Amino acid sequence: MSPEYFLRSLLLIILATFSANASNWLYLAKLSSVGSISEEETCEKLKGLIQRQVQMCKRNLEVMDSVRRGAQLAIEECQYQFRNRRWNCSTLDTLPVFGKVVTQGTREAAFVYAISSAGVAFAVTRACSSGELDKCGCDRTVQGGSPQGFQWSGCSDNIAYGVAFSQSFVDVRERSKGASSNRALMNLHNNEAGRKAILNNMRVECKCHGVSGSCEFKTCWKAMPPFRKVGNVLKEKFDGATEVEQSEIGSTKVLVPKNSQFKPHTDEDLVYLDSSPDFCDHDLKNGVLGTSGRQCNKTSKAIDGCELMCCGRGFHTDEVEVVERCSCKFHWCCSVKCKPCHRVVEIHTCR
Amino acid sequence: LPCVFHVGSFAPSPTTAVPYMSVKCIDVRKNHHKTKWLMPWGPNHCEKLKDFDEAVSRQIEANDIVFAVHIPLPSKEMSPWFQFMLFIIQLDIAFKMDNDLKENAEITLDVSLAYRDDVFDDWEEIAHAVEIRKLKCTFGSPKTLDSEGRHYDCDFLPFMEIGSVAHKYYLINIRLPVNERKGINVGIGEIKDIRLVGIHQNGGFTKVWFAMKTFLTPSILIIMVWYWRRITLMTRAPVLLEKVIFALGISMTFINIPVEWFSIGFDWTWMLLFGDIRQGIFYAMLLSFWIIFCGEHMMDQNERNRLSGYWKQVGPIAVGSFCLFIFDMCERGVQLKNPFYSIWTTEVGTELAMAFIIVAGICLCLYFLFLCFMVFQVFRNISGKQSSLPAMSKARRLHYEGLIFRFKFLMLITLACAAMTVIFFIVSQVTEGHWKWGDITIEVNSAFFTGIYGMWNLYVFALMFLYAPSHKNYGEDQSNGDLGVNSGEELQLTTTITHVDGPTEVYKLARKEAQE
Repeated sequence: MSPEYFLRSLLLIILATFSANASNWLYLAKLSSVGSISEEETCEKLKGLIQRQVQMCKRNLEVMDSVRRGAQLAIEECQYQFRNRRWNCSTLDTLPVFGKVVTQGTREAAFVYAISSAGVAFAVTRACSSGELDKCGCDRTVQGGSPQGFQWSGCSDNIAYGVAFSQSFVDVRERSKGASSNRALMNLHNNEAGRKAILNNMRVECKCHGVSGSCEFKTCWKAMPPFRKVGNVLKEKFDGATEVEQSEIGSTKVLVPKNSQFKPHTDEDLVYLDSSPDFCDHDLKNGVLGTSGRQCNKTSKAIDGCELMCCGRGFHTDEVEVVERCSCKFHWCCSVKCKPCHRVVEIHTCR
Repeated sequence: LPCVFHVGSFAPSPTTAVPYMSVKCIDVRKNHHKTKWLMPWGPNHCEKLKDFDEAVSRQIEANDIVFAVHIPLPSKEMSPWFQFMLFIIQLDIAFKMDNDLKENAEITLDVSLAYRDDVFDDWEEIAHAVEIRKLKCTFGSPKTLDSEGRHYDCDFLPFMEIGSVAHKYYLINIRLPVNERKGINVGIGEIKDIRLVGIHQNGGFTKVWFAMKTFLTPSILIIMVWYWRRITLMTRAPVLLEKVIFALGISMTFINIPVEWFSIGFDWTWMLLFGDIRQGIFYAMLLSFWIIFCGEHMMDQNERNRLSGYWKQVGPIAVGSFCLFIFDMCERGVQLKNPFYSIWTTEVGTELAMAFIIVAGICLCLYFLFLCFMVFQVFRNISGKQSSLPAMSKARRLHYEGLIFRFKFLMLITLACAAMTVIFFIVSQVTEGHWKWGDITIEVNSAFFTGIYGMWNLYVFALMFLYAPSHKNYGEDQSNGDLGVNSGEELQLTTTITHVDGPTEVYKLARKEAQE
């Protein structure tokens, strides 16, 4: 074994361990300082991408801004959906973005993978419709085999492109491993479930335009749901996620529910392998921030209530004077004129 | 039928809907009055806003924001083969506790449309208008702090309609001016995005459609000429039914004549309106024909043979089509001047439009009542005649049998055509638009449109072919005296039936029998 070969394999091992978390690309969301990703060199400097993703970045430079936007969307939505739970989707400024929780095969990881692959599909589709991308819909699936696809038969939906891009960018790491380990299978499944959350919630809208506007002629199209809706759907799937284990059917490995009495999961359901920690205590090694210092709801019996949120440690109550906006005058954008109103509220924080 | 499926596998779907997301541009100039076009993308694109949070932090006002949409999307061109473009607008309005959408909120859009044919040309304005649209929004979840950020469920609004696509590139700039004193664009919630959907006819479908029309025109024209020659060869004047069939042929030809070819070379925005008028005339003719056909086969003792005899039935058709014509002129006619206009956007306009449509609907119902009643009468007379058929003389029997056969035959093919139309219509409304047949994809809608169109052409063709007066014994009619006309008609199974009596009939029929 030559020293060069040894070095190279060592490098590969380091790379592999570094990129052990396939959601590292989400770090893109943190890179607001980079500006727009418009040069090939930028791709290599981007933290969190694996080699295959860097290559994709170089080939699809114009799409990368949308990928970053998708990552931001996903994180914002995750934090919104989990704002009342012990694990509130808080991000760290280091890799991995969500701490170690997501590197294990937990429910939380399932949600993060799903929402992030949905975020990319969503953002890329949006960018298509606003004209930011050149090669959406039309060039990939030209219908009718005519060279003038758009003029002959129009283009296929942009969502098809968005989903396909999300598939090739987000799934690439799992695919490169050959999709054999159960983590890879779980991630792939949840990525797909995230995209299905968009695809299966597309709204069909129709417009009639026959004689005098009658429905003699009618054209229908599919409109993407708002991302909040996608988040809600996935949160529901999170609550009903299925715990699975690997099993072999023939020579292919598949995931089946651990409890055989449960209904097998569908394409749209989230699956997880490991149960989650309780997220109560500060544990930096595992990236758990703990719930101490979190606000809680004294009257609620649910997970946002002080009892559960504070894991029985009790809570402080402070009276704080807050300045709220009231009797506001709004424009549809940008301008808000309000009077400040002072109010004293009780704030409960976990010990 | 195989022909129709062939078209379905070859032609693309009739129309395409392209979603556009507007780009939020900042109008950096201080003076808004000078028009300057803001491009959403491309080399000279405007200064963009990612979202409105950015606008707040940069202290940009609502009046400085322009929503820009370029049609089509990058690296594509529009084409005259698209025939028409229509756009709907959809507003994404987010719920905010303290910035709720007012009830019956109205949004004021300052819109302008421009075109150019070369990427390096300047934009030329086509239209500019200030339009008011009513927002129809609902909110699915409870209006609590928890559901802040969710979007209202808003109906899409009509935005623009153009009857020709003569240019390669179009640009839409939308402003939402705010004026608190006048209450303009106040209380419309927090607008997150403006989306447009553009609908146009597919170029491939247009070509197939044109080809079909170009092929059908001469075939109907030839049969029409043949039919009219047959009639002029008769010594008598043409009867009402013959005239109506001929008029039906004319209105079919009127639809068929592919004047749309001109839209490829000329910017004729009135083509859409013209198409509506042509279709309207055909429908009115077809409905009148059915009434008159029934009337002329009534086999009672009334002499009709005049249009004025049918005023009760044809009246509703005339009133109904006139109403729809006025409505269409108010909508698509005004759109020739202002493509952003829609009659449905104002209170008065909506009421007016509804009034026209309701009157037309009542007329249609009235018509169908009359038609059903007439068909019922005919069948009653037929059964009456059928029971007395064996007792009749052979000539009379043949005559009535001919009439009955003729009526039933038309009844059958009309019902078949109507049923086919209705079935195809329902199928096309229910299914997704295309079916997979092995590895062939069949576009149901284009197959449906071409199929139904071809079928009604065939219907008119068959009418003229089968109901043309026979030329075989027109020469003999002259010698038959005053009853000659009637007898001639009856034998040739062409038209109006009046009282049939006298030895001439028997004589003639008998002679004909003998000849055959």
